[in-house]
Amino acid sequence: MTRAELDAVLARLGLNVPEKERDEIAANTLYIEKMAELVKKPRWVGAEPAHVVKFPGAFPEK
Amino acid sequence: MVSDFLTVAEAAKLIETKELSPVELTQSRLDRIAKLDSQLHSFIRVLPEAALAAARATEGEIAAGRYKGPMHGIPIGLKDIYETKGVPTTGHSKVMQDHVPAADAFSVTKLKDAGCVVMGKLATHEFAFGGPSFDLPWPPARNPWDTTRFTGGSSSGTGASVPAGLVLCGTGSDTGGSIRGPAAYCGLAGIKPTYGLISRAGILPLAFSLDHAGPMAWTAEDCAIMLQAMAGHDPADPASANHPIPDYRKALTGDVKGLRIGVIRHFYTTDNEANPATRDAIDTAAKKFEEMGASVREITLSPLADWAACGVLIMMSEAYAIHEANLRTRFTDFGEIFRDRMALAGLWTAADYVQAVRRRRELIDELDRAMAGLDLVMTAAAPTEAPKIDEVPKFAIIDRPSLTMPFNVTGSPAMSVCCGFTETGLPLSYQIVGKRFQDATVLRAADAYERATPWRGRRPSL
Repeated sequence: MTRAELDAVLARLGLNVPEKERDEIAANTLYIEKMAELVKKPRWVGAEPAHVVKFPGAFPEK
Repeated sequence: MVSDFLTVAEAAKLIETKELSPVELTQSRLDRIAKLDSQLHSFIRVLPEAALAAARATEGEIAAGRYKGPMHGIPIGLKDIYETKGVPTTGHSKVMQDHVPAADAFSVTKLKDAGCVVMGKLATHEFAFGGPSFDLPWPPARNPWDTTRFTGGSSSGTGASVPAGLVLCGTGSDTGGSIRGPAAYCGLAGIKPTYGLISRAGILPLAFSLDHAGPMAWTAEDCAIMLQAMAGHDPADPASANHPIPDYRKALTGDVKGLRIGVIRHFYTTDNEANPATRDAIDTAAKKFEEMGASVREITLSPLADWAACGVLIMMSEAYAIHEANLRTRFTDFGEIFRDRMALAGLWTAADYVQAVRRRRELIDELDRAMAGLDLVMTAAAPTEAPKIDEVPKFAIIDRPSLTMPFNVTGSPAMSVCCGFTETGLPLSYQIVGKRFQDATVLRAADAYERATPWRGRRPSL
């Protein structure tokens, strides 16, 4: 993400990030983007999320 | 003269037999805090009058024949995200520095009911996430083995105060490793119990679906004693499990014969490469378990980065939602580390969050399948010994995959256990993990290992 793109997103979020901190944040957006990619595995359209952990017996076993 | 270093189990035995007065024990810890905490900054608020009053009350109860059990009269510290009635609970943050709760957290009530003497509120990373920070109302805690070193976080004050003998045990919380990280870097024992085993009601949240409360103490036995006091169903916590609580201390047989342990080596040899001292210490610990009669074999899971991405995305997104209103209106009242990490969290979309919780289900199933023929898995708790406190990167949580986060994603009981020291005297640890609600098996293995090795005999010299 470029610095200009970051500035636009922070404005939309309403976060008043000091100018001196913005370049460092922009430089680390690559980790955020990488994580978002890592959780997008190919999966069946009906694959359900797990909002919390699965307790024993809470869901039918596949 | 009270010993500088007592475990909960040792002190409890002396208190029960009236060889040690809780008042004397409490005063000795207050003296030690006064003498040493200017180096450690482990407390942000000491409560001497309240502690001595509680100690006198426990002494009266014991004298009257109303001994409650092994936590009775034990001096304890509370991470400053555990709400305490009438005592500020700040999350170590300017944003909440005037917050005075009207009631104790459920787990604090349980600890007090068990007879604990609350010594004060312990340092944390800001809202259990951002640190070490030097721009908050209180300084960050320092590692008692070398005060130029990082304690790990976020349960930093508990990590510093227990090994130094300022308290006998303390509370932690763990959303991505905040019990196990400080336990690893500061050389104590810390267990993140199964998700839902200890109520989170009255504990300032970081991320609802990953937050675990838990004990930190010098030994696995002390963690078992403390867990017994803290665990239990609480209708006020929607994630609280209504599950039978076993006798954790009774499970500590000293024996691991027949236990089946899987070692996830690739987590610390390739995915987040540990330094040689750490790798050797963990491999030696695995061999020790084999010598003691456990069967040990290597297993492979998805790359650590997958687990970390899933957990960190969920954690930071939930944290952002919790703090969004204050971030929009009081951004610079947060410390720089916390606020800049939160600014990054705001970049994820709702769809990213949903993909992460879908990934979570797949990873939970993966660990369940991998553990079908196992009782425990072990891996590293941290890739190195504690780094210098001023060399911790601002975005440490995202630039290197966390070794502890996988077991927040799965809600499994997971514990850091000291397994040696570097040549310069800094602690090294491994992490041992059980199946959900098999916390007793984790404690049993950790306790047996501690009994069979010399590491619990060494304390920091301050």
